[in-house]
Formats: sequence, structure tokens, C-alpha cells
Amino acid sequence: MSTVVIKSVGIDIGTSTSKFMMSELTLGRVSSHFSLPQFDIIERKVTYVSEIIATPLKNEEEIDLPSLVSWLEKEYQQVGLTLSDIKSGAVIITGETAIKKNADALIHYLAERSGDFVVAIAGASLEAVLAGKGSGAARHSQSSRAAIANIDIGGGTANVVVFQQGKVLETITFHVGGRLIEINSLGEVLRVSPSLKPWLCFKKFRVEKGMRLSLTELIEITSGLCGDLLDVLAGEKTISSLENLVHSTSCQGLPRIQEVMVSGGVGRLALEAPPATLADVAKFNDIGPLLASELMKAVKRYHFNVVEAAQTSSATVIGAGTQTTKLSGATISIQPELLPLRNIPVVKAALSEMDFEQQMEQAFLKGKEWFVGNDRLPFAIGLGGTLYLSYLMLKEIAGSIGNLYAKYFPSAEVLAVVCENDMAKALGQALRLQTKFQVICIDQIGIEHGDYIDIGAPLKDELVPVVVKTLAFS
Amino acid sequence: MKEKQIELIVQKVMEQLQAKFPTENRADPIDKGLIFTEKDWETSIPKPAFQEGVADLITSTPARIGVWRTGTRPLTKTMLKLQFDHAAAIDAVGGEVLENYLEEFALFTVETCYENKEVYLKRPDKGRVLTDAAVQTITERCHNRPQVQIVVSDGLSACAVETNLKDVYPALLDSLQLNNLTCGTPFFVKGGRVACMDHIGEILEPEVLVLLIGERPGLVSASSMSAYMCYRPRKGIVESDRNVISNIHPLGTPPVEAGAHIGTVLQKMLEQKASGVKLEL
Amino acid sequence: MKSSITLLHKTYQFRDLKEILAKANEEKSGDQLAGIAANDAQERLAARHLLADLTLSEIRNNPVLAPEEDEVSRLIEESINEKIYQSIANWTVSELRETLLSDNTTNHEISRIRRGLTSEMAAAAAKIMSNLDLIQAASKIEIITQCNYPIGHKGTLAGRAQPNHPTDSIQGIKASLYEALSYGIGDAVIGINPVIDTAESVKQILQMTRDEIDRFQIPTQNCVLAHVTTQMRAIKNGAPSDLLFQSLAGTEAGNKAFGISIDLLNEANELIQKEGTSHGPNLWYFETGQGSELSSDAHHCIDQVTLESRCYGLAKKYKPFIVNTVVGFIGPEYLFNSKQVIRAGLEDHFMGKLQGIPMGVDVCYTNHMKADQNDMENLAILLGSAGVNFLIGVPMADDCMLNYQSTSFHDIASVRSVLGLRPAPYFEKWLEKMGIIEDGRLTGRAGDPTIFM
Repeated sequence: MSTVVIKSVGIDIGTSTSKFMMSELTLGRVSSHFSLPQFDIIERKVTYVSEIIATPLKNEEEIDLPSLVSWLEKEYQQVGLTLSDIKSGAVIITGETAIKKNADALIHYLAERSGDFVVAIAGASLEAVLAGKGSGAARHSQSSRAAIANIDIGGGTANVVVFQQGKVLETITFHVGGRLIEINSLGEVLRVSPSLKPWLCFKKFRVEKGMRLSLTELIEITSGLCGDLLDVLAGEKTISSLENLVHSTSCQGLPRIQEVMVSGGVGRLALEAPPATLADVAKFNDIGPLLASELMKAVKRYHFNVVEAAQTSSATVIGAGTQTTKLSGATISIQPELLPLRNIPVVKAALSEMDFEQQMEQAFLKGKEWFVGNDRLPFAIGLGGTLYLSYLMLKEIAGSIGNLYAKYFPSAEVLAVVCENDMAKALGQALRLQTKFQVICIDQIGIEHGDYIDIGAPLKDELVPVVVKTLAFS
Repeated sequence: MKEKQIELIVQKVMEQLQAKFPTENRADPIDKGLIFTEKDWETSIPKPAFQEGVADLITSTPARIGVWRTGTRPLTKTMLKLQFDHAAAIDAVGGEVLENYLEEFALFTVETCYENKEVYLKRPDKGRVLTDAAVQTITERCHNRPQVQIVVSDGLSACAVETNLKDVYPALLDSLQLNNLTCGTPFFVKGGRVACMDHIGEILEPEVLVLLIGERPGLVSASSMSAYMCYRPRKGIVESDRNVISNIHPLGTPPVEAGAHIGTVLQKMLEQKASGVKLEL
Repeated sequence: MKSSITLLHKTYQFRDLKEILAKANEEKSGDQLAGIAANDAQERLAARHLLADLTLSEIRNNPVLAPEEDEVSRLIEESINEKIYQSIANWTVSELRETLLSDNTTNHEISRIRRGLTSEMAAAAAKIMSNLDLIQAASKIEIITQCNYPIGHKGTLAGRAQPNHPTDSIQGIKASLYEALSYGIGDAVIGINPVIDTAESVKQILQMTRDEIDRFQIPTQNCVLAHVTTQMRAIKNGAPSDLLFQSLAGTEAGNKAFGISIDLLNEANELIQKEGTSHGPNLWYFETGQGSELSSDAHHCIDQVTLESRCYGLAKKYKPFIVNTVVGFIGPEYLFNSKQVIRAGLEDHFMGKLQGIPMGVDVCYTNHMKADQNDMENLAILLGSAGVNFLIGVPMADDCMLNYQSTSFHDIASVRSVLGLRPAPYFEKWLEKMGIIEDGRLTGRAGDPTIFM
């Protein structure tokens, strides 16, 4: 068989809405029969997208777990899925929901009950990237010279990612969202999100629960939000001058952006007619519709070329379902009974001829300090660098890793190594011959210090799904 | 040895270049010695329409693109680089593996009926048959009916053996050990073609045979090796009965990884009692 | 049929036509490997003298491989127009040569003669022609075909963009394609040799090339050179393919080794007629090359020139858009050195054109042959003069996937420039629109692949 089809799900629990999707990922052999085997995801087909539901809340701070679970069970039933059918996928908690009280427990609870290898992910940067892939911005950028910013605006945050030629340049997330101010049809403020308060204060807007705001005042606030956001994207204001609006960012200055795409719930509202009355605005008891129409109005004042999104409100869930899983190389060294492994932190060292052992030792010391709790497998070792690996070198590296691991982690049983280059089978073999550990050694996965990794059960003899979770700035 | 050859060629080319195009920064090439690296061969498009895109294109393929031109012809460096790579390939075909290199791996040498390089090239059939002396030698010196027989041959590139054997071979031995496979007496065949496996199979009757052989040199690499594998090789075996991992060299399929994988393939051949297209990998 | 000849008091006796045809060949290592080549230069000339005096009817009546035994023989035999054949049956091979070279014989007349010829007759003529004869005769013949857009006009030289990549990376293929287009190459076809012979992978490459053709409105056609059965599966799965590709051999057994038969080609032909994405009427791309039958032990002791000619006889049935001989890919055991490669290139081009085939040539060599890039440049110019329909364009002539050297984008541009040849007409207009060519010359923008980004 040259291809394998696996089912992958995406679950997006957002500040105001939640979605579920199902997709089929086709894994195909991408190397000839004269080469070492190599697989890749050659097709991603979305087969089902759920209705959008309002995220069930127990109170302002807490998600209503039983309702969420029963909704999910119903969705699984609807598409005729049992948990064992699902080979990959991701649960993502987006926007402000992530800081709700029980979010962390929830996300892991869901991940473990959503299929064999469904992982939990969070983090504004990752969210932005997934939304940009789901919306079609990444694909669009492949056939354009321009750098395109995908602005995914939901209830709590606006996640922006900049792509060029299909590659991620930067990400930035703003406290801009449709649900940050909740109102009724009379303009009465029902709630103001704490994350918006610093900016309101900075801009000298007085917005408090119980106040009544006119349409004009609401327009002033929403257009102010959109203006500041777009000013940053256009390079007219610096990121540091708007600290109170910026949630997180991968950079201090953005590259020059020529095109924008708008996705997310607010992106969908932008396709509708602008609200004419307070009642229109408060259709969902928040400022979402107005934020959408003000954004579309404001963007015309900039040099940006607006590109229509292929997906709006489902962009993130589609991205989560189809884009989080990567495949390892297909010549690796694993012990299937040890898999899946979830949430393993990573320490990294670069292959080098000069000081590999010292580097490794330092990485181990850091790992020992940072990651406590799992004595059996304290962390995975990431190996980067483009050094050509001779057999002699391979032996030395295996020896160094084995000795140091035994020295610093005497109670460890499993040794997990994640290599960038195609070398895992040879290294795994050397580790098995030279150490007493059980070995999981996979390759062709780029990984950084401080990332977390999930390694799934094998899809073929020597091929595992992998999710790398970069939590760089959250 | 190869490095020396490269150095010499580079030096010659540079001398010609310098004679043709004297430049200001020609600060005493004799004293400093000439070290020509990949970077020095590079040419570039002077004013590309999309500067940021150039690197994306060039890094996406090993093909020689973004090289620019003078009139309709390539720039001098681009052309010399092509000739240089071809020179390496020519020398690889003409080269021979040194005896003492093979001794490091305890490989003894036998020959096919190839006679000389020209006959070898014109008569592939002769490289498929061992000489009578060779038949006698391996009958005497090799373990008969081994589970795994390893054979090494120069094939069309002697330097493929010199470049890769030191990494492929020990990784292969490790993979046999981990797969609990036992190995016969390995040896080297001078002037071998792939199908010499069949003749050796007739004589030693191994369960599986792996032949590590130098490939026809390309310009990307003149020292690329292939590993051919066959279950019960014998007369009448056809191409589709063999499995192969090709393009093994430092810039292609990593030699240690290839070596490590061979054990897995052989293990499957033994389990399924088949090789080639019939083998499920 | 005369089978012996006395030259300088020495008598040469040949068994049959097959032996005469083989021994009349210029020296080729492949014929030597098969054990059918002339023993020395004089025997070669003896065979050639005998051959020159044989009539076309003698060649037809003494088949090298009987139609009852071989479907390719059958097909060639059945395609002869009997009226025209009767009008030339008494010509000797020598007369055929002289007629083709005569000032009075036009392209129009040759197009009549060819309908009375078998592939063996075309091969026989080639064997008694010098290199310049082959160039002169071929240069008269104009074969215009159209897939999406026509190529083959006199005064033009097209190029196949061959943007291969060692792992079929879509981005990598695209990068080389942009480079090709920026040098004005790609009018014959955008054709990729895939590493991975699966329908999914073929479909992906076809889809990418289709998208690029649409995006820049390039007047050309796409093709992925996988096995025909793989292409058929891809097309059935909705892959947008303008052309079907297949390698051909000159015998039934040779084709069997390629995994094809006339039945399979007919089935494929029906599919591409129904599901192909191009205008037509010419929907096939074939590749051939001297020596392939011997390499699969399917040569029936027939020489490699005659077998090659029979490939064109087979190809003709499917009215191909383009055919090229991959002249020096097969290795030194078939064509030992540049002299043999150059000869084979000119023979193949002539024999193809004579049989009405839109011939291109992959002017190429491998690194274990005694040949280098200079030899390829020579042959490219010779073929340009002979009116070859297209050449193969590979970045700097170095195919990083097939591991051989062909002609470069620069080379095709140079042949055009030196011989005053233009790209195919619609393609040239497009190149002008893109600012790559002006008055038939490359502009300052040419050679910059980023203009397509």
C-alpha cells in the first residue's frame, strides 16, 4: 500500500463559541522504492464541520464540562465515529477561555477522551498559525510575492500571523475580540473583560458594567481598537507603544505586510451587512458585529489588499484538526508498547564534533532543574545541527547520551531522542547496544528547547505521528 | 586521495581563471594556497525581480538554478563547476579501491571476468560472473550456506566504497546483531555488476545476500553507493526479485541510517521468504 | 535477394537481410554486445554495398521479424499504403537515399513516399547515409503537431522543460520550471520524470503544472512521465493531464519488458481521447532509444538502428504530439562514445522524421560514457540544423534526479540564437508578453526565475 488514510479531529473551545470538525489525512509514501521509506501527509480533506455552539459556561469563570462532553459525544455519534477510529487530532482552547479556571483540566480531559492520539494544545502563537493555515492565508501566500497577515478575531483575542511564500514570518496577538464588551440592545454594558481594561483606560474610555453606551460611543471604541491593531500591522505604531493592547508577540517589529485576510467569528460577521441600530449591534449581546463592520471600514484606509478568506469562523478548528499532526521519519527506532507518550518536555543540544558532551551535560543539568516529576522519563532529548554523522561520531554521541543520562537520572527507564536529521534508526540502534535503557528515537522533527512533544502509537511499522507544542510566549 | 585530486583540479582551474581575469584582490595566490569552496562557485542573478524569493527557489532543489547568464551562455564559474563535477565522476569510474582500505574491514578480494575497465564498460555480462580462481577462493574461504552473506564491490565507482563503507558497514553489522541475524564471510569483488549476486548465490547458497556496490556516478555525487538485497540469489533471478537502497552518500541517503535499515529489510525477507516486488515492506 | 558480394577479391557472404542490416551499421558497442556487428571496417562496407542495391520490395519480403510472431511487425506491415508502395517497390535503397536528397524532392513528396515505407526501409536508408546526408534529408521535412498549441514549424525550435527533482518536491519542481520558462523553454511540454510512480504523486505534479499553466496562461501542455498505467489511474482520479507518456520498444517482447502491449496502448489512447484536458488532436508523448530491446533481451538479433526505426513505426499509429529518442542515456555498452551518440542522434531524428514523427532528441550522456558536454553541444547544433522539433531543457544540463547530462536551457537558447530559430509561435508571443524575449532575443529579464513568483 502506498497510502494510508487516518481520521483526525479538531475541537476548538473558544471564548464565545465552540466547534468540532473531522478530517481525513492521507499519508503517502513520498520516497521511491530505491530509497529509504519516507511518508508525508499528501492530502487533507475536511469531511465534517459541526454547527457552531455557544461555549457552555457554568459561570463567568468556569466551563460547563458535562455539557461540553455530552455535546461532543453527540457529534461523534452523528458522524459515526468511535474513539478508536481516530488516529490524530487536537483540542485547542482559544482566546480568553484559556484563562478560565478549569481550562487546563478540561483540555487534557477532552484530549484523553477524544481518541487515541488527540492532543491538547494552547498558546496564542500556535493558535494564530493554525487559524492562518485553516483560513487559506498560508496557501494563498504560496502564489503571491506579498506578505499576508491573517487576522483571526474571535470573542477574546485577535490572533495575527504573517505568511510569505507559505512560511510563517511572525505572529502577534491582540486583546481585540467581539466578546470583550457585552451589551444588551439598549446599549447597557453587561460585562467588560478585564483584559480590555488597560487599553480602555489608556485611551480614556470609561466603560463600566451597568453604564449605557450610545451607538456613536460604541463605534468610537470599536474603531479605536481596529485602528490601533491596523496601525501596528501597517507599521505606523510600534508594538511597544501599544503594550496594553498586545497580548503576546514573536517579535519587536513586524515585516512589511501587503495583504490581509480576516477570519474567525468576527471575520464571518464582516461578510454581513453592517449593523445600523443598537439592536443590530447587540444581536449576540456583545460588540462582535460592530467590531466586524468597523474593521472592514478601517482597513480601507490602509494600503492593504484585502483577500477573502476561504474559511472564517471555522479556520482555527480546521487548522487544529488538519495541521497539528506531523509525521516522523519512517526509519526510526521505537518500542511500540511505550507509546503514546504525551506532554514530554524537551531539552536540546546541537550535534557538533567539538563539545558535544559538554553541551549535552549542560542541557541535562537544565533539564534536571526545570522538569521534575517524571522519574521514568524526565524529558526528551532534541538533537539539532546539520553535521554529517559518521559511524564513529554516532558511537560517541550514543555513548555520551547514555552515560550522562545514567549519571543524572539514575531512576530513568526510557530514553527518548528526537532528531532533526534522518539518523534515528542508526542512533537508536547504537543506544540500544550501548545503554540499558528502553529507547524511543525518532527523527525529521524540528524541535526547540522548552517545547513539549506528544508521540503517538505507530501508524506503520516505523512511522509515528508527532505533535510539537511550542509554548514560547504564553 | 579524493581530496587531493579535488585540490589539484581546483588549483589548475584557479590558475587558469587568474591568468584570464586578473583581479585587484589577487593577493599572492601561491603563498596563501587556493581553497575553492562551494561558495566560490556561486553565481547570482544581478537584479532579480523578487530578491526575497531567490533563496527560496535555490534551496528548494539541488538543480543548478538561479545561475544567470552572459548572452545565451552560462557564466564562467557555473560552467567550470559543471566541468569540475563531471571530472570527479570520470575519475570515479576509472578509479580503484586500495587494498589496504579493504584490509581494515578484513575483506579479501576476488575478481569477475571483467578483464579491464573498457571491457567492463562494454560487456556488463562479464562483470556478472566470477573468475574460476574467484570461485575457488570463496568456496575455500567462506562459510557455506550462511544466513546473511555480505559482498562489497567497486561497480562503477571505486570512491563510493572508499567514502561510504566505513559508515555503512559497521551500522549494517549492528543491525544484524540487533535483529539476531548471523553473517557469513564477507569479501570484496573487483569489477562486479549487480547480477554477480546470482553467481555468488549459486556458490555459497546464502539465505539472503546484500551487495554494497558503487553506483554510476552522477554530478551531485560521484561516490554514491547502492545496497542490493536478494532472498536466495541464484541464476535466473530478475531485477524485480531484488530490493535496493540507492543514493547512499554523505549528501544523500545517510550511510549509517541506510546500514541500520538493511537489517530490517533482510529480517523481512527471511520472515516472508521473498524479496523484490513480492516483499511487503 | 542477393546475399554475397565481392570487394577487392574478397567475397563476403551474409545469411539474411537481418545480418546485412546489422553489419551495415556504423560501429556501435550495442551491436558488438549483441554479437551481430561487422567484424571489420571492410565487412561493414560490403554489407552497406549490398544493402544499397537491395530493392524496397526485397526488404519488405524478407521481414527481420515475421508479422505472425510480433505485433509491432504486424502493425507496421498493416499500415502500408499498397498503391504508394507499388510505385516505389522497385527502388533500391540507394535510389531511396538519392530521391530523399534530391533538390526535386520536397517535403510534400516525402509525405507521400512515407506511406509506402516500412520502418526497416527507413532504417536501411539511414545506414547508407552519412551524417550530413541525415541532416540534409531531415531538414526538408516539416512535421507540425498540436496538443494545446502547435509546434514543429520550420524555423522554430521548441524545448521541453524537464524540471525534475530527486524527491519530487513540488516546490523544487516549480523552482526549476520557473528557471526554464525564464529562458524561453517549455513550448514543447512541461514534462516531469517522477521518482515516485504512484497515481497520487503523479496527480499532485500534474495539478501543480496545470495551476502554473493557468496562472500565467502559458501556451503549452503538461505531462508526467510515469508508467502509462500509473498515469491512467491518476487521470481516472481526476488528474489534469494534457498528454499521455510512454517509453516504446521496437518489438513485442521489448514492450512487454516495459509492461505494455498494443492492447494496453489502445486502452490508454481511448482514455486520453475521452478524459485528457487538451485541445488535441495529438495526445501522446513517446520516448525511445537505441539499445532498449537488447537490454531486455528482446532484440531477436536485430540491430539497434532497425529496432529503433520500428519504434517510430509503432508510435505513428497513435499520432503522437512529440516523440524523442533519449539518445545517450542507456550507457556505454550500447553507445560507447560521443561519436556513436552523435551518429545515433542523427539517425534517430532522420528515421523518425521520414516516418512522419514529430521528432525531438534528448541529447545526452551518462558519466561512464566517453563523452562530455562539448559533444552534446555539437550534437545539439547538428540537430538544430537538421530541423529537430525540440530538445530537452535541464538546469545547466545536469538532471539531478535521473543522474545524467542533457542539454541546458542556455544551450537551447544558444542553438536558437546561433541558427536563427524561434520558439513555437504561440509560445514566442507569450514570451514577448512576459518580457522574456524581444525580436527573438532574450531580454534583460530573461534568466530571472523570480519573475514568476
